[in-house]
Amino acid sequence: MPPAIHPVDLIQVLRNKQLTPAIVFFTSRRACDEAIDSFEHRHVPIPPKRMAAIKKVLEPIIKEYPSIAHHPFIPIVEQYGVAAHHAGHLPSWKIAIEELMRKGCLDAVFATTTLAAGVDFPARTVVITQSSVRKAKDFMELTVSEIQQLAGRGGRRGKDFVGFVVITPSPYIDIGHIAKGLTGNPEPIDSQFVTSYPMVLNLLKAHTIDHIQPILEKSFAQFQLNQRSNTFETKLDGIDQELTNYGQRECADWITQWQSFELAKRRRSHRFVKIPHETAEVNARLSFLTPGRVVALSREKAIVLRQYRSRGQAHAMLTVLRSRGRIVEYPAGSVTEVVDQVIDLVEIKSFPWCNAASLDHAIQMLEELPTRVRPLPIRVVEDSSEEDSAEENSVLTETLNDEFPCPACPSRHACRKDHAPALRLRQEGHRLTKTIHTLRTELWHRFQQHIEVLQKFGYLTPNCQLTSDGEWARHIRINHSLLITELIRMEAFDGIEPALLTGVLASIAIDDDRPGSYPRRSSGLGSVLKQVRTVAHSLEAYEDPPLLRSDIAAVAEVWVADQNLPWSKLIRMTSMAEGDIYRLLARTLEYLSQVYSLKATHPSLAEVAVNAMDLMRRDVLEELP
Amino acid sequence: MTNMTHDELSRLLYAQPIRLLHRLAKGQVPRFFRMGKHRIIQTLLDFPPNHRARLVADLEAMIQEGPPPKPSAKRPARLKAQEAPPKAKAPTPPTHRAIDHPLEPATSIEELLEGIGVPIAKIFKPDPWQEEAIAQLATNDVIVSVPTGSGKTYVAIEAMRRAIEADQTVIYTSPLKALSNTKLTEFSQIFGADQVGILTGDRRYNPQAPILIMTTEILRNLLYDAAGGEIDLRIDTLGLVILDESQFIADPERGVVWEETIIFCPSQSRLLLLSASIGNPDEIADWITSIRTVPCHLIHHRNRSVPLRAAYLDPSGTLSPLFRTKDITHGKGFTVHPETKRLFTDYEHQTTGPRYRR
Ligand SMILES: Nc1ncnc2c1ncn2[C@@H]1O[C@H](COP(=O)(O)OP(=O)(O)OP(=O)(O)O)[C@@H](O)[C@H]1O
Ligand SMILES: [Mg+2]
Repeated sequence: MPPAIHPVDLIQVLRNKQLTPAIVFFTSRRACDEAIDSFEHRHVPIPPKRMAAIKKVLEPIIKEYPSIAHHPFIPIVEQYGVAAHHAGHLPSWKIAIEELMRKGCLDAVFATTTLAAGVDFPARTVVITQSSVRKAKDFMELTVSEIQQLAGRGGRRGKDFVGFVVITPSPYIDIGHIAKGLTGNPEPIDSQFVTSYPMVLNLLKAHTIDHIQPILEKSFAQFQLNQRSNTFETKLDGIDQELTNYGQRECADWITQWQSFELAKRRRSHRFVKIPHETAEVNARLSFLTPGRVVALSREKAIVLRQYRSRGQAHAMLTVLRSRGRIVEYPAGSVTEVVDQVIDLVEIKSFPWCNAASLDHAIQMLEELPTRVRPLPIRVVEDSSEEDSAEENSVLTETLNDEFPCPACPSRHACRKDHAPALRLRQEGHRLTKTIHTLRTELWHRFQQHIEVLQKFGYLTPNCQLTSDGEWARHIRINHSLLITELIRMEAFDGIEPALLTGVLASIAIDDDRPGSYPRRSSGLGSVLKQVRTVAHSLEAYEDPPLLRSDIAAVAEVWVADQNLPWSKLIRMTSMAEGDIYRLLARTLEYLSQVYSLKATHPSLAEVAVNAMDLMRRDVLEELP
Repeated sequence: MTNMTHDELSRLLYAQPIRLLHRLAKGQVPRFFRMGKHRIIQTLLDFPPNHRARLVADLEAMIQEGPPPKPSAKRPARLKAQEAPPKAKAPTPPTHRAIDHPLEPATSIEELLEGIGVPIAKIFKPDPWQEEAIAQLATNDVIVSVPTGSGKTYVAIEAMRRAIEADQTVIYTSPLKALSNTKLTEFSQIFGADQVGILTGDRRYNPQAPILIMTTEILRNLLYDAAGGEIDLRIDTLGLVILDESQFIADPERGVVWEETIIFCPSQSRLLLLSASIGNPDEIADWITSIRTVPCHLIHHRNRSVPLRAAYLDPSGTLSPLFRTKDITHGKGFTVHPETKRLFTDYEHQTTGPRYRR
């Protein structure tokens, strides 16, 4: 998206304020090219003297790189002193623009932010129109480092007293983000270490397996992992210290001992009276709330018929006899007072919990009770904890006594008190130990996973030496190396034509998913790629398959197949940008040269590869090393 | 009294307590808190004339105002108003140079655009950090992390020169082929075309030359081959390895190649890493020191050799300063210039108006 201000007006303002030469960063290649075109529409040419200067600088460059002689932008560059510079252009074109800029011939270069990545290309002013960039498929905010690298191109040492960064709005701008980027601290960088099959093969070629781990430990990845694990280790030391602060106990591993004791107790306790949720006061009363006990409820008096606890219920319950013979259930907590009087009852095991005679007697006694009764004094032990009361349950203690020393152990009070926090500490310690172990061995672990795959496919022996296949396969040091070496092993390339090999390698080399129009692929390429696709799919678990686009592959294929095809015609056969075609072919050349490096073991395939390379290197591809 | 002479001002400054000088220097003299009284005063006196006027005004204001209240000083008036003194928040001394202090006038576009021009071309004198880097390379590995356009290439070239004089081979790597080509031209002009070679994935030009340019991947592959016993380059005479744009170590796909190159770099070769500004160059230096036979010396600063200023260009064509301050400050927060704030708010208001709304 172009900025809100028209590019011509933008440059006019910069010229008026003496802020040229400038680099103007746009979000897309198209916006850059359109900006250049718009200079022609507005027709504001530079003075003839400057036009001549540009021509003079361009002359020798064109002589060196004839491919740009008829570049459609040359007249605009010469007349208006502005140019576009982005990945869609040929390297030779970019070299020309950079040279013009260095010589101070241009007022402005419209560029995409890819320029920021290390092209030697300063200016007096940098214009930023965006605060995010397209990365992969998403728009991502520029980082502080990126903003400072873009802006940093403003102000040329030795050519400017002062440099400028000018922010102008477009729909993609957040001024605050840029202001923060200009004034903030660049982000710390993190290791991006990844293990690859060629890495494993090449390391195992030079070193035996027991030397690998020390080598991996030299990585920045491990250095950073160690720093993280060091902070964890300090934490772990602290935890160990805290644990020893609990002091000596009767048994060495008291936490585990007490934990299993607790567990056993809990498992059995449901058979016994368990009083988990009562207050100390209620707890103290429970043993007095036996059948026949007279109690006071909030409004009246009653006689306890039974005490019970139903399954799953937290509270102890009472069945009581109230006035007029009503038999009612109450939680034990609703008793307001325990009276110092017990009525004799003959208990039975079902409703109404005592025999008829007892019940009649009780009803009568209840009616005859004086209004003022003597309460039973009950001592409430405030800190009697759950465990205490459970422990006091002699039945429980007895059954556990045989298996555990705990109930009678002199440390038991300390153990009971410290167990929960100590256990938490120990668990945290275990977690940290595990994390530290992972951090320390992560790289090695991933390396081993790669070893296993290479053993499975027969590139490594069981004791991690290179097999004869491993010996040559280690020379393939590019992406998708496993796919390429597997294809070579299954002789997929036997007797292949140079053009076809070029096409296949191009489809592996380029991971471009942009749609577009391309030349027709040959039927041969179609069927080979079908086979490659099957193999790539079968390797999916070990290596991400490449896109394997046959339409893009066809561009490379036709370049090799048709030796009379000039560059200018090739670029008209596809909607791909010139720079992208160049990159596709240059990368394919690199892949071919890796195949060529197998000349000792695969002489005929290497021969095809080197033929293809020769056929590729002509025209534009001959211009640069 | 604003038109004081240099000597008068000097005397007046020396008569002030250091506390006042600190307040005066804040925001104007970097690292003033590390300087002695003498150096602060000398730095203040070196200010350009237009700055000096403001300095004098500030100084006079401060002298009149007297010392700022001590943090512990009680203020009876306040105590009466509030029952108990608030626990935290001691009254902070007024900071005249705080970035957004209303007393400091915001810069103007005229001031921002002041001083544009081209210095007279002359052979430059290397900066101290450049000389330090070159000297350190005699015995140590070096990582240089300085802003873009500071002159890292100078360090590379001088280091190369020394290596060649000592009959050593130099490998210079860049992350991109395009950059390799530019450097080939640049180094050939300096050392002569026969002294510089370039290796690419499929070609070798002048591979016997003492200076070899290549991408980092190519060097990594050479080091693999050397370790595997197929020495096809003179690794044993390799005296210097230069990794330009080494912030690429953070690249998600290619970063690992930089790590491998550094790990496998022969121990007799010195390593020179050139990097744009990154957040943790010290960590990288510590890492390299931990795995190599000699220490890795870090050269790191954030000072721009050509000062950089920021402006905002409104779509209407109006240019205004981006920040209240003329120069871009680092690590102290920022305040957007009021004029720019107004312009940008207007712009946003227009573009999100009914005409643009979807
Ligand atoms: N000490 C110096 N004094 C003046 N000019 C210098 C000095 N050192 C280098 N230069 C000039 O500074 C300019 C920029 O230098 P160089 O390209 O080396 O920057 P860099 O630090 O590599 O920047 P980048 O991060 O963009 O790669 C060059 O033109 C160089 O001649
Ligand atoms: Mg540089």
